[in-house]
Amino acid sequence: MPLLSAIMACPLIALGIVLCVPATAVRLIRWTCALSALAAGVLSLHLWHSYDTVAGGMQFVERISWVPSAGISYHLGVDGFSTILVMLNSIVFFTGVLTMWDLEHRVKGFFAFMLMFVIGVYGVFLSLDLFFFYFFYEIAVVPMYPLVLIWGSGNKEYAAMKLTLFLLAGSALLFPGLLAIYHAAGLNSFDMTLLAAHPFDPEFQVFVYPFIFLGFGVLAGMFPVHGWSPTGHVAAPSAVSMLHAGVLMKLGAFGILSVGIRILPAGAVYWAPVFAVLASIGIVYGAFVAMRQTDFKFVIGFSSVSHMGIVVLGLNLAVLGQAGVDALNGAVFQMFAHGVMTALFFSIVGFIYDRSHSKTIADFGGLGSQMPRAVSVFIVAGLCGAGLPGLASFWAEMLVSLAALKTYPMMGVAIIGGLVLTAVYILRVFIQAFFGPPNPRWQGLRQVDLAGWVIVPRALLIGVLVILGFMPRLILDMINGTTIALVENLARLEDLNLLGKF
Amino acid sequence: MADIILFLPEIVCLVMALVLFFAPVCAWRYSTAWGIAIVAGIAAVSACLWTWPMEGEPFFAGIYRIDFFSQLVKTALALGYLLVVAISRDPRTLRPATWHEFPLFLLLSTVGMMMMVSATELLTLYISMELSAYPLYIVVALHRNRSIGAESSTKYMIQGMVASAISLYGMSFLFGLLGSTYFAALDTQLGALALQPMFWLAVLLVLSGFLFKLAVFPFHFWAADTYQAAPHEAVTFIATVSKVAAVAILCRIAALVLPASESLVHARPVLMWLAIVAMTLGNFAALRQRDLKRLLGYSAVAHGGYILVGIQTLTELGLTAALFYGLGYAAMSLVCFLVVCEVGRDQDTVPIESVSGLYQRSPLLAAALLVGLLGLIGLPPTVGFIGKWFLFSAALQQGQFGLVLFAAVNAAIALYYYLLVIRQAYMVEPVSAQHAEPIRLRLNAVLAAAVATGLVIAMGTFPGFFWNCASRAAAALVG
Repeated sequence: MPLLSAIMACPLIALGIVLCVPATAVRLIRWTCALSALAAGVLSLHLWHSYDTVAGGMQFVERISWVPSAGISYHLGVDGFSTILVMLNSIVFFTGVLTMWDLEHRVKGFFAFMLMFVIGVYGVFLSLDLFFFYFFYEIAVVPMYPLVLIWGSGNKEYAAMKLTLFLLAGSALLFPGLLAIYHAAGLNSFDMTLLAAHPFDPEFQVFVYPFIFLGFGVLAGMFPVHGWSPTGHVAAPSAVSMLHAGVLMKLGAFGILSVGIRILPAGAVYWAPVFAVLASIGIVYGAFVAMRQTDFKFVIGFSSVSHMGIVVLGLNLAVLGQAGVDALNGAVFQMFAHGVMTALFFSIVGFIYDRSHSKTIADFGGLGSQMPRAVSVFIVAGLCGAGLPGLASFWAEMLVSLAALKTYPMMGVAIIGGLVLTAVYILRVFIQAFFGPPNPRWQGLRQVDLAGWVIVPRALLIGVLVILGFMPRLILDMINGTTIALVENLARLEDLNLLGKF
Repeated sequence: MADIILFLPEIVCLVMALVLFFAPVCAWRYSTAWGIAIVAGIAAVSACLWTWPMEGEPFFAGIYRIDFFSQLVKTALALGYLLVVAISRDPRTLRPATWHEFPLFLLLSTVGMMMMVSATELLTLYISMELSAYPLYIVVALHRNRSIGAESSTKYMIQGMVASAISLYGMSFLFGLLGSTYFAALDTQLGALALQPMFWLAVLLVLSGFLFKLAVFPFHFWAADTYQAAPHEAVTFIATVSKVAAVAILCRIAALVLPASESLVHARPVLMWLAIVAMTLGNFAALRQRDLKRLLGYSAVAHGGYILVGIQTLTELGLTAALFYGLGYAAMSLVCFLVVCEVGRDQDTVPIESVSGLYQRSPLLAAALLVGLLGLIGLPPTVGFIGKWFLFSAALQQGQFGLVLFAAVNAAIALYYYLLVIRQAYMVEPVSAQHAEPIRLRLNAVLAAAVATGLVIAMGTFPGFFWNCASRAAAALVG
């Protein structure tokens, strides 16, 4: 059975069913989505289990010629990185559907757009053809506009428009960049493995790399093009924020990794110091801004900017050599850990908002005694963000910090400073919202605390964070082979001596 | 007389036009005339498909050429005509007394366009161009509100005639240089002529008549006014079928000078700058529009610019991409105008507010509008995405990185005004109770919507077949 196509087919079939049934068949729509998410999850587990880490490289490759004369083929395959990211998408998809189970407003449209988004994300992680990579990338971006606009809250029209304009502006940079890669190679093929093996002229790489990096960097929420992401997170409904921060931003980082660094290694080496500095600024800046926020979702939104900065920094450090393996392992680990953690954050904030209709930190105070279970979930996510040992992010952040200290000590200091600041703004939220004197206004919430099956999605996400906190090998074993191969490939470029040319 | 088969699509259309001519004369009911028009469309499409594999020069050698290119474009023209007629069952913005004539004029214009794409001689080209243009000048004037009809029609006609006069002027230059009106004469003399600036001036002047149809700067002034004020069904025809013909002729003329594209120091930058100005002007002007048809008019100006990006490369790949995008654009445009026709059935103008709450009034139309606009933005899974991909790819093959970057940024700017329309359809509640009633679609409109939306998505997700057709056509053209 073509496993990867089967994973893609789960949401696609569900989308077909959802579009065909009448809008009033709400139960059927929900169950279709949940079952397709479950099926995709089981297949992703199977993929994880059967990916051969010893052999490494691209596996489960499928290939169907699509437009032969234009060099486009439907070409799927996974390496260690995409395997764990597919898993991440399945987890967030499943928990996202469960989080939105009680949605009443235009259910059919919501789940249709959500399924379209999920198809796009799977497509990006699985595609080995540059055309389809970009095709699915745009498919994932499209539904964000209606999802935020129709089902969002607060300043949603502004947020939706800003988000879409930012992302499509990024695409405008990608468009010529990707096509330039294709024409410069002259292979009449968009096959990413062939392109990665093609020795591009270093000057060409140096010219094109910024377009690719910045184009994808917008989606990765990189400073200074992160403006869309906190506003977008805040306005979006919970499941969309989960997918948005949990998965969508990873697409940007994954694009930098698999198009930028793999295909244009010399360009990556040349530009790495500059972009590493930007990422470090992003880490500290995001944390500082998060400290001043009064809205739960804005705190998390800016924490995402800060945490995604760690991913982008890790990717750039990976190119720079000294501690490449650690940096890249850390960056990819952080993609996964941050995805799960943010999903947990938005899932629980969405829950608290549903019950109290407030996201303002100052409104609460002593919520811990009123909604103990929900608050505990939030605290787990918060501590994970602050890099507490025993939770997944610890390993990721430690690996990148170590690599940064070895390569550029100043950047190491920036990361560690960022983590300290994370602890500050997270603890500030805890104190102000959860551990003060109880606000009598929320007495009624005790009856509607997290209970029953509503716990399931949150418990699942916490479980993943804890398991990985104690057994980071689950991820590291999966990605290490791919990382080493990639870093060795980059090391061969050293004789080009591009580093520091900038 | 085997040649007559080659001429089949045109003959079918002419005969059916003759039949339709009797509709007003014998005072048939409109439903009868409409039925005949539909039959004409189906017959024309079948005739075009029948002649797909054929090739030859019926009647007079060197004047009229049937090849894969001409038959592919004719199929698109006939299909476009059929779909436009299919949604014109109840064209209330036209004067009721003129309903009978409406399909007749569309059919005559289609015949003209069909002849235009086969013409390989200057006079044939010019005459068929006029044949395709005059019926359209008339249908624009058939608006039920005479002052609106007169204004938009006058603008359209005067500018159209000026453009065609410029074209004719260019043709006279060409004749002077070549000593012949046959395109075939160019083959032998192209090498020498390509070195003369006068030749390139003549080519550019000839092109301008067709740039008018495509609404490319500096011949775009009519677009906004005519789109806004003409009867909805007439605009639908102008915005779809007429564009296909224009793109086809631009490809035809570009293909003529293709072998000399190395010495193109004069012509190519001109076309490139026209493309740049058209894109920018169309997109920026559209940002401020409050009228849906006017907005689509400026969007047409911008899309003319995108298509010109493919043509100005003067390569076979570029022409293929332009043709592919032209066909796709016609489908996307048809989807949008179909929604305009249904939503604005009783309105002289269609402000953007008219589509408010469309998702409640007619989920099908709302979905169609979404697909059409996503296509115009250039997002997958529609033909707008892959069409732009091919166009920009052709330009980058010529190393025009800056142009592609500029066009891509332009597409991102255009996003804003298209999204406002999507927002209105999906998000905003209807302005009044009268505008909140569900829209009941007739079967013919549903079928037309299904075919057009299906084409937009099929060309976007399974482009292989359509791309191969376009490249075969371009190969036939370049020879």
